[in-house]
Amino acid sequence: MLERVDITYISPCLAEPDKIRLKARLGKSIEEVLPYLNAVMEGASFNPAVPCITIRRDFRVLTLYPEELTMIKAENSTDAMQVIEWLKKQIRDIWERKDEITPDYTRSEKPHPLMIYKQLPGTNCGACGETNCMAFAFKLLGGEQEVDNCRPLKEGDYLESREMLNNLFVS
Amino acid sequence: MAIYLDNAATSYPKPEAVYQAVEDYQRNIGVSPGRGAYQRAIQAEQLVFNTRRALGQLFNISDLSRIIFTANVTEALNLALKGLLGPEDHVITTSIEHNAVWRPLMHLKKERNIRVTRLANPEGCQLDVAELEEVLGPGAELVVVNHASNVTGAIMPLQEIGSLCQEYEVPLLFDSAQTAGVLPIDVEKAGISLLGFTGHKGLLGPTGTGGLYLAPEIELKPLKEGGTGSKSYLETQPEDLPDRYESGTPNTMGLAGLKAGVEYILDRGLDEIRARELQLTEMLLEKLNRLEGCEVYGPGSARERVAVVSFNLASIPAAEAAYVLDEVYDIMVRAGLHCAPVIHRELGLENRGSLRVSPGLFTEKEELDQLEKALEEILAR
Ligand SMILES: Cc1ncc(COP(=O)(O)O)c(C=O)c1O
Ligand code: SF4
Repeated sequence: MLERVDITYISPCLAEPDKIRLKARLGKSIEEVLPYLNAVMEGASFNPAVPCITIRRDFRVLTLYPEELTMIKAENSTDAMQVIEWLKKQIRDIWERKDEITPDYTRSEKPHPLMIYKQLPGTNCGACGETNCMAFAFKLLGGEQEVDNCRPLKEGDYLESREMLNNLFVS
Repeated sequence: MAIYLDNAATSYPKPEAVYQAVEDYQRNIGVSPGRGAYQRAIQAEQLVFNTRRALGQLFNISDLSRIIFTANVTEALNLALKGLLGPEDHVITTSIEHNAVWRPLMHLKKERNIRVTRLANPEGCQLDVAELEEVLGPGAELVVVNHASNVTGAIMPLQEIGSLCQEYEVPLLFDSAQTAGVLPIDVEKAGISLLGFTGHKGLLGPTGTGGLYLAPEIELKPLKEGGTGSKSYLETQPEDLPDRYESGTPNTMGLAGLKAGVEYILDRGLDEIRARELQLTEMLLEKLNRLEGCEVYGPGSARERVAVVSFNLASIPAAEAAYVLDEVYDIMVRAGLHCAPVIHRELGLENRGSLRVSPGLFTEKEELDQLEKALEEILAR
């Protein structure tokens, strides 16, 4: 199913510079696999509106789009490439058993506020109109705030975090 | 046509794909892996990773970040021994070790006062597993075993040694220089804690390649520090694997070739490769045993050896015989102690050395016929 994954970009994670983040182009679209991954992978977070799915491999976080993936918090490039091999195998295995799996097209439950909080700059600067980042995280979850209202997130080098939050809250 | 029978030193020729992979990397990628933010550097990095992946498949290694690339198995063994052993540590080893193990051990004996117990390999053959168990009893920090002698070709019982080491909870460092790519080595099944391999022999890759696999419980001091292309803001060596042990620009050209070599092996299968080697070894042993005045060392049966056969021709000095073979017959074999002085001493050959013939995957039977004829003539002189 997914044979080719070409990494196009690698750089240090902004929040944790001893970890790396990357982007990769997929050899072919995996759009139809996403609901199957959503059905099978524990802790996956699926948003059919994008569409994309966020999954975890221990401490690494991967977001899969139909023709692209991003990964954050990999140990180093060897580690990241190993995680990609793992992902290929997961997808291959799931696709082989697809007749036994009921795909799940529903949007995942809302994530935990702490998970949201961890993606925020954590400066408690108040630019969003909230007293601190945690409050902003709760409001985001409640639909009373928008990701782009956190100005530091938008203007600083928080590309992955912003993308991840957008993926969660885009409808 | 020149006949090459020194594959135990380095395999030649290599599969066509190996030459192509080296050329393709040099011409079309050519850049240093991981040291740049551009596409090519990522491609080079991916190539190095794919070499790890092929090796992981061959040795059944699940965590590929625990494969450390080195210049050869000598560097891998040095990293293992010097990174692991502390003052007064006890090491158990065999009599068929190569100088790549023996010399670092002798160095550590002086420097760190380690104690070395050497097991016997009677007649240059298998060690006695019961003897290993006996010396493991009182405890040791490490067992170092050469999978197969580069002198007598004798194969050591990997599974039994590995199981014993696991039972006594002593890490096993395994030198696969003569066996990787020919005999099955499954690090998990065999209980290998550290596996040293060299790329340019049975793995069919270019010289200047090799590595060390570290089991998850193994913690080593690096042999060198330096640039890793990662975490450059750190003033100290990063802790993550494999970067912790891989300072300096790697031999990417060599690793490209090694990948092709290992893929060739995976493709043909170890069974077929070993069967070919057995055939040639049987044939060689038969021929040598037929020669009057030829004394062959090591196991009598080809099944107990890799394709390495050492012998002497009556009282003709080995170096002289090798010279005549090369000069008159254009046949390349090795003469001397083959970097394994201990086993030569055990065989009573420390002053004499031996002649060593090691056919390879691409050796033809006719080439062994020509060797036989040449040896007959040399003996009849
Ligand atoms: C058993 C054994 N160990 C170690 C070595 C050293 O190999 P390298 O020169 O590739 O480090 C060799 C071959 O030369 C060998 O046969
Ligand atoms: S604007 Fe962003 S960084 Fe500032 S308090 Fe709000 S959430 Fe935190």
